[in-house]
Amino acid sequence: MRMHRLASATAWTTLAAALATASFASTPAAGQAQTPRAQATLPRTADGKPNLAGIWQVRNTAAADLQDHVARFNMPAGRAVVVGSDIPYQPWAATKKSENFQAGQARDPLAQCYMPGVPRIMYLDFPFQIFQTPQTIAMTFEWSNVHRVIHTDGTPHPDGLDFWMGDSRGRWDGDTLVVEVTNHNDKTWFDMAGNFHSDALKVIERYTLVDRDTIKYEAAIEDSKVFTKPWTISMPLSRRTDMSRVLEYACQAEAEEASGAFTREPATWYPGASGAASPMAAVPIAAAPSRPSASPATPAARATVVRRTRDGKPDLQGLYMSDAGGANWGLERHTGNPALTPPGRGVITDPPDGKLPVQPWARAEHESRLRPERGYDDPTAHCFVAGVPRSMYVPSPFQIVQTSGYVLFLFERMSWRIVPLDGRAHLPDRMRLWQGDSVGRWEGDTLVVETTNFNGKSWLNEVGEIISYTERVVERFTAVDADTINYEATITDPVVYARPWTIAFPMQRQKGELIEAACHEDDQDLAHLKAVRDAALAGSKK
Amino acid sequence: MSLNTRILLVGLGVLLSAAPAAAHHSFAAEYDGNKPVALTGTLTKMLWSNPHAWVYIDVKGADGKVVTWAFETGGANALYRRGWKKPDLPVGVVVTIEGFLAKDGSPTVNATNIKLPDGRQLFAGSSGTGSPGKPASQP
Repeated sequence: MRMHRLASATAWTTLAAALATASFASTPAAGQAQTPRAQATLPRTADGKPNLAGIWQVRNTAAADLQDHVARFNMPAGRAVVVGSDIPYQPWAATKKSENFQAGQARDPLAQCYMPGVPRIMYLDFPFQIFQTPQTIAMTFEWSNVHRVIHTDGTPHPDGLDFWMGDSRGRWDGDTLVVEVTNHNDKTWFDMAGNFHSDALKVIERYTLVDRDTIKYEAAIEDSKVFTKPWTISMPLSRRTDMSRVLEYACQAEAEEASGAFTREPATWYPGASGAASPMAAVPIAAAPSRPSASPATPAARATVVRRTRDGKPDLQGLYMSDAGGANWGLERHTGNPALTPPGRGVITDPPDGKLPVQPWARAEHESRLRPERGYDDPTAHCFVAGVPRSMYVPSPFQIVQTSGYVLFLFERMSWRIVPLDGRAHLPDRMRLWQGDSVGRWEGDTLVVETTNFNGKSWLNEVGEIISYTERVVERFTAVDADTINYEATITDPVVYARPWTIAFPMQRQKGELIEAACHEDDQDLAHLKAVRDAALAGSKK
Repeated sequence: MSLNTRILLVGLGVLLSAAPAAAHHSFAAEYDGNKPVALTGTLTKMLWSNPHAWVYIDVKGADGKVVTWAFETGGANALYRRGWKKPDLPVGVVVTIEGFLAKDGSPTVNATNIKLPDGRQLFAGSSGTGSPGKPASQP
């Protein structure tokens, strides 16, 4: 790794050489105030790069205003993060920025819970986690389960598509990660003060670990349609040494619950730590009959065909799509509606009859959810996070990123699941999340993930199959060849089901990359579904 | 039109990608599977959006009145993976779109297939076809 750094034609060559002779030379090009002691103790990955993995957050007020700003109601004062203080707007754009500032929340896309874009996501005052592999640096944000995938494998930006979060391609410049972010749309702002850009925006980010708990974050902003010249922001990102898990801030879900547009389902939602229990009493769960787990390949066959990581574990990484047999339209075998709903082969492997062991109240509720006016009640129709196991069989691809400490699932419709492998305990019972709280472990060549702490707000699929806050899921991911993972999930939910049940299907490796699929931002269906619901409600009142 | 017929049309028209379209809401709630429709008109707008893209065409009725119809399709990602490009559907092109009518009587259609003037047919559907991968390996 020393060889690598010495070979790199950057200012860091100087630093490496200086370290070798134990005399520190400053590195004006990188502009770091880094001590030799800090540099020597930087965490590094197996390939010698600074290891950015961890949970990070800004400690500034850039989210309010990138420039010097005095306090306003519920908004602290703060100093500029713009290098040189001024943003070089073209005259028309300076006028528009002033109008944006006057309009404030009424015009701020973030106030609509739209994805913040880059760089704004980096200095929202929410924690985010970085996962680092040689090919991919992934970031998972607490804010609305947004994620970024930074490709560091030399691949080019895609052509002809634009995204709320742009398209990120990175490379290492010595010890600095340099990320070029292009393919932006023109709909995001830089801050609450109305600083804005066009779709010609290009952002060059520089991430430099200056000590083990601090990243110097710089972003150069170019946009020839809006600015007279490029400009730069710079700020530290601080490691959140006090937290080991990023939680969830589901912006749009919180907004709709606050406004009454999305309402509690008393039977299934978590009643609260001190709240009344679900009106539907949990029945004692009968143990599922023990049976051999679905592990098709023999150990000998596995050893020869499965991809493996440096530490010998199956390497699950890549872009996958579940061959889930229409589970998103019914877990049981179903014929479907030939016009609008696909048929399904049925993915329930236990009970042996392939039927969900629902309690009577839940059967009635499911039938109710099939009525057209209940289409509005499906959380994914609101573009909310899909939950578990639904996230694993919604009909769109997902990416698996794997480090020695984590397996990470990134879903195209902007959500994530983080699975720590360090044997930690689950969150306290009162902490409830859309995606639940997952902990994982390797059992031989199978990744076993146990997930609890659900908020109970999810539906299992578009036809309204039911899950509640008492849900507990044990998933088993077994790579059976280089391109296939066999997936099995056993669900225990005593409020809804009389016994545990199990689904199974294969996940197939896909060509290509994850593509951002904005949902809430562009959605036009919810209004239609609301109209169907409102018409039915009006009809029932007559 | 049966599902199999639709898949056949896809096979004729476009290179079907590995990933099917992503559905995100109940189509049965919004559209009527018993009301298939085929309309021809001039494209006035295309929204390349997720989770569903939208095509708008002006259709001249028997009474000579022009009505703008909205067609919901698979999302921009799905269309992109199926090989669609923005230039395939320029404003002004005359297209024939098949699909299913909205239940609420509005000029809105869940599109399944788009025929272009050069004879190409694009699978537009939002759900249910093109499932990738091998058949189920049921344990």
